Amino acid sequence: MSSYTPTAADFQPLDAAREGDRIDRPSLSYWQDVWRRLQSNRRALASLYIVVGLLLFTLAGPLVWRVDPALQDLEQVSQPPSLGRTALVVADSAPTTSLTHTAISSAAASRDSAPNKLRLLGTPHSEGVSLAWDPLPGVEAYQLYRHEYPPRDADDLGLPLVKLMPHEVSYRDLLRLETRQYYYSVVGVYDGEEARAYTTLPVQVAQAILFSEAQYRGLLGSDATPESVVGSSIRLESHPLGTDYLGRDMLARLMWGARTSLFIGICAPLIFVSMGLAYGGLAGYSGGRLDDVMMRFADFVIALPFLLFMILFKIAFGLGPGESGIGPMLLALVLLSWPATARLVRGQVLQIREEAYIAAARMMGASAPYLVLRHILPNVMGVLLVSLTFAIPTAIFTEAFLSFIGMGVVPPTPSWGSMCNDGIRTMLSHPHELLFPALFISSTVLAFNLLGDGLRDAMDARMRSGT
Amino acid sequence: MTRGCSDHCTWQRGRTPRPTMRSTLLIVAAVLGWALALAGNAATPAVDRGNNEISIAITQEPQWLTTIRATDTVSFTVLDHITEGLLTRDVNNRLVGGVAERWELSDEKATFWLRRDARWSDGEPVTAHDFVFAWRQVANPENAAEYGFLMRMLPNGEAILAGDMPPEALGVEAIDDHTLVVHLVSPTAYFLDLVSFITFRPVREDFYRAQGGRYAADAENMISNGPFILTEWVHDASMRMEKNPYYWNRDAIPLDAINVPYITRDPNARFNLYLDDKIALADQLQLSAMKMALQQHQKLRSFSDGTVFYLGFNHREGRPTGNRNLRRAIQSVYDVSELTYKVIGVPGNLPAYTLFPAWLTGDEGQSLNVQYPPHKPELSIERGRRYLELAKQELGVEEVPPLSLLLDDTANASSQAEYFQNVMARTLGLEVRLDKQIFKQRLAKMSAGDFDIVAAGWGPDYNDPMTFADLFVSWNLNNRGRYSNPEYDALIREAQQTTDQRRRNAIFSRIQDIIYEQVVVVPQYERGYIYALDKRVAGVRRYHIGGDPNYNYAYIVESPRAPESAD
Repeated sequence: MSSYTPTAADFQPLDAAREGDRIDRPSLSYWQDVWRRLQSNRRALASLYIVVGLLLFTLAGPLVWRVDPALQDLEQVSQPPSLGRTALVVADSAPTTSLTHTAISSAAASRDSAPNKLRLLGTPHSEGVSLAWDPLPGVEAYQLYRHEYPPRDADDLGLPLVKLMPHEVSYRDLLRLETRQYYYSVVGVYDGEEARAYTTLPVQVAQAILFSEAQYRGLLGSDATPESVVGSSIRLESHPLGTDYLGRDMLARLMWGARTSLFIGICAPLIFVSMGLAYGGLAGYSGGRLDDVMMRFADFVIALPFLLFMILFKIAFGLGPGESGIGPMLLALVLLSWPATARLVRGQVLQIREEAYIAAARMMGASAPYLVLRHILPNVMGVLLVSLTFAIPTAIFTEAFLSFIGMGVVPPTPSWGSMCNDGIRTMLSHPHELLFPALFISSTVLAFNLLGDGLRDAMDARMRSGT
Repeated sequence: MTRGCSDHCTWQRGRTPRPTMRSTLLIVAAVLGWALALAGNAATPAVDRGNNEISIAITQEPQWLTTIRATDTVSFTVLDHITEGLLTRDVNNRLVGGVAERWELSDEKATFWLRRDARWSDGEPVTAHDFVFAWRQVANPENAAEYGFLMRMLPNGEAILAGDMPPEALGVEAIDDHTLVVHLVSPTAYFLDLVSFITFRPVREDFYRAQGGRYAADAENMISNGPFILTEWVHDASMRMEKNPYYWNRDAIPLDAINVPYITRDPNARFNLYLDDKIALADQLQLSAMKMALQQHQKLRSFSDGTVFYLGFNHREGRPTGNRNLRRAIQSVYDVSELTYKVIGVPGNLPAYTLFPAWLTGDEGQSLNVQYPPHKPELSIERGRRYLELAKQELGVEEVPPLSLLLDDTANASSQAEYFQNVMARTLGLEVRLDKQIFKQRLAKMSAGDFDIVAAGWGPDYNDPMTFADLFVSWNLNNRGRYSNPEYDALIREAQQTTDQRRRNAIFSRIQDIIYEQVVVVPQYERGYIYALDKRVAGVRRYHIGGDPNYNYAYIVESPRAPESAD
């Protein structure tokens, strides 16, 4: 039988730190954990990138894309997205080749003949298309039409451009010429009735720009003279997202419009969420009668109609003509939107206040400011941030809606909402004018919402095990 | 919107109470009614050849369907079908006898002999007393008729309007049932034209009194002496006019009925109704609708509605726009041709260089604009800047303060104003602030003088240059910029005293010069429209004055022309 003889070493305590208990991984703070889980949420992450991209677009965009959003490029009205078209430089004073003619006696008037030799005078370009035709005997007037498609019959000649006296056998068309194929037709008018016979001339219109306009916009060298450059081709400004109904660059307008939208979208929620935090925090922390009174007041504010107040503020501010309604809008948003956050924060604080660790801290003599700053506020932060991310898209949407109905920005300041309102008129013919601002509004609102969703999930400790 | 109930919550609210048998029945009835209403609309196509009737849309509910108070174009349009004046216009827009068979106009008075077969829609004859009664009502301040001022050309009209005399004192008398004598304060060359205007149409006293204040409030409170009778009027929804069997000239009226199944302000909606074969005429096509119409190979027509649009200035003391050089600076740089052709871009609109539109006639039937061509300002930025410098010196300022531009709250007005704003900024460095207001508010602000520049328009009330020329006399209440010029006033007085058309036209030419030289206003454009008319309908007349369009002589074409091939 063997026996063990204990030695003194056996009675020495073991090392305090056991291998199994050691924290092997780097410790994660709450925010690090939130970030980690947010990263694993791909939707939220993509939204975050969109939001960051949007901020860059708004803040840095105008520094890169140095185009005046108010510059009206009437040579290129309602153009679809394009990169730098070339344009023919033309002289400012149009060649005055107007043909007149003494009316031919109506003796041998055939009532159903069409004017002969409908022809062009000079080069047809977007600054004017000059047409002439041979006089018809016995007409009372000529009616000139312009079509965008080949006419099918005498009832399909297109837009009635002008009615001319019988001695006028030429016309210079200036009406909103696009660079495309047009079909000009001319018919004689007899006794107030248009003849059925017509002559059609297809005309391909080239992009042009007036010399003075090109010079004003800095597209020519400083030493350019009308003699040296007229007839040559230059490159116009490019409009990557097209132009609007006054030829203003959509990209520049979207950038500047984003400033308005994001200013309201970020400023207003920041202010009213902080107000809500202070108000709700105070109510929740103090509790009792003060809490009751404060929350009833919040209920009262919630009941106030936003649009009505927006209008009242606008009047109360005594805004003169042409002054932006952004100020009153911000005020109305701030004054009427805080109660939602206040309610949320109050509920949270009421709950946290009763937690055991608060009671423990209080028993250990923690002061009220310490309790608030160290324990309550950090625990409210998650809820608050989520409510902020949800408040931002709402505010952006409110701004867009108010500008859409004309209560926000004033021209020429763009905003996404007012751009949508402008674009809706040409929705059928030039959809890009509505599409781009609408796309920006929707993607921004969606991105902020998805980001808010992701943040809420990431901050919810109960969902921790799930990810 | 952040607050306000969304669609979602109304749905829920409607859903929460459990539907009882009764409410289910109600819903079924409502749905059925709605379906029937739809079917009712579907039953009236744009052109109904079998019943010889057409369908049209109007842009809004008529404000007043009484000739005494009507002021808006829609009321005028409807009234022009159901009433007839002493004189009227024929198929070719020529002035011809209406209720009056013959007439005589002198410097002091006009005498009208009424036709004996003119009758009201209940068979009673139209008499001279009906005209006397109607005109007294127009002058009666109790009715607050906006066109009451027209009665000022009759003796005592002014005093009656001011409430100083009873309406019975108005200088119009019925010698007998069929002879009407109208006394004139001063010779009025265009009086015959004027009596065809809506305000001068007859109203029958006994019928008017029998309605007890509800005259013309509904279809059954109306009586008609025109080609049509208003037989149905569902407010804000629809109307129907049927041919008046008692109308004296009924044989000249081709249609048996005109349906108005739609009242909508949206021109795009009207164009869609037109494409769906629901209405026969789509007016005021917008740019995008025009493109669509071209794509669909629709026949398009253009029409100039006779209205001139201009930038009016506030000439009141203390306003920078009271300075002539500032106005000249603006005139020197503002290219109305570019505005008309590139910004507005709708054919039919013409750049305007004068207050007198192209359709006004001068001597010997030619256009007044051809006889007295307006000045086209020669555009020059340098000259504009020179005037601006002078203006600054005269005003004693370093910089001209921002100018407010008052305009209507419509998309078209807004894009024109943005163009003007941009031109001023880039050429003269002037800041222009846009003040968008709804129509009534714009008029109120104009009257109050609360503007620097206003984008306004003026449509004619009668076919004479005077309807435009007297706009800026110092006593005209529509001279809302308070322009005052003794020479201008004297010229208008002279034109009002004479019936010599040549002399009057010469005066109007001088007025045109003053407006240009003093830059009383900057004319912008003469408004035009593109419209689409159903191929099966002909004879629709378009008017500059009063109700437009007019279907009195419209008819359904036997067979629309078969498409022909090009030559």
